[in-house]
Amino acid sequence: METGKPIGRTVKKKFMAALCAGLLALGGMVTVFGMTGTAFALPLGGMGDFYVQFDKLEGSGFQLLPQVGETGDSDASPMVRNKIEEATVYNLHIYKDLKLPTGKWIRINIKGTEPTKIKGLIQDARFIEANLQFNNLGIHEQNTNDYTKNWTQTADTVTITNAKIVTDYLFQTMVNLQGAKISIESIDQPETTESP
Amino acid sequence: MGDAAAKAEKKQERLEKARAKLEKRLEKLENAGKFKAWRSRRPFWGATFSVLAGLLILYIPIQLYAIAFVPGSFAFIGLLFGGLVLILGVLSYIFPQFSTVLGVITMFLSILSIMGALGGFLLGTLFGLIGGALCIGWEEHVIAPDANGPDQMNRPDKGEKAKTNPIDTSEVASSSSSS
Repeated sequence: METGKPIGRTVKKKFMAALCAGLLALGGMVTVFGMTGTAFALPLGGMGDFYVQFDKLEGSGFQLLPQVGETGDSDASPMVRNKIEEATVYNLHIYKDLKLPTGKWIRINIKGTEPTKIKGLIQDARFIEANLQFNNLGIHEQNTNDYTKNWTQTADTVTITNAKIVTDYLFQTMVNLQGAKISIESIDQPETTESP
Repeated sequence: MGDAAAKAEKKQERLEKARAKLEKRLEKLENAGKFKAWRSRRPFWGATFSVLAGLLILYIPIQLYAIAFVPGSFAFIGLLFGGLVLILGVLSYIFPQFSTVLGVITMFLSILSIMGALGGFLLGTLFGLIGGALCIGWEEHVIAPDANGPDQMNRPDKGEKAKTNPIDTSEVASSSSSS
């Protein structure tokens, strides 16, 4: 029986081939997302506020519900939940302030230079500053202790202009961000907006 | 025929060089500490990069813990990918004989982690790719004590467990000198 001494080594050829294949796969995936401009959105929240600014939003299948949710500062903050089935947003600017482990703050900016198309938008907003226009607006009240069903506001279509929305939860089933520009900048302090 | 002979000669030369390198490393390991000996028997850097990648990929979903457990949330998928990459990195330390498979899965999950975790600001994906590639490129060789030629340098069977005792190269050195 052979009693050899085991020792490991990295075969450069295999390593380079695997790395190249991996980088190619990564490049392929980024290219596909970049060409179609389609992405599955990342829900953001739970750490400070998340700001959404845009010039105009045209949406259909609008629903507004009361919501209590966790924010970066509180376990249960009153909010409103916006649900829009389909929306087109013009000049979208999303930014999020993040604290790095070093203690410095950075801001991640996502800007849509072309109209952004969103399907299945869910957004828990803590503060909304905007001009709103509804079509076939209806308010429904229900005698129930469940605060999420106590009242709802629905509209066939909604047009929001010059909006600044402070939100703590954002989810999109599908988002088409054509001409998106993503940038990271260093900031001194995070932006804070207190509810009036 | 001449070409084939030349090729075979070149191949033998390459193997001899590789063997000489490994023998040198074995000699160095003789006086090295336990950690170095342990490190030499597994894809240490590949596993380390994979663990780092897993932690970086997990960073974003952990920051979003408040919503990461919402069903259907992409942050939950990020949590899953990051956790799996981390586990695969740890497994590479424990089961070096499966380094190729573990490396391939690490690379695959690192790329997918762009969805749901932004690939740990892409750094996690890059670390995962490097770690996975290092695991794939890693090979374990056994140098027989009575080795006298390049053919004696073989990879052990996949299922064979690496020896955990500190490597003694004295036999290799003596057998080489006696030949």
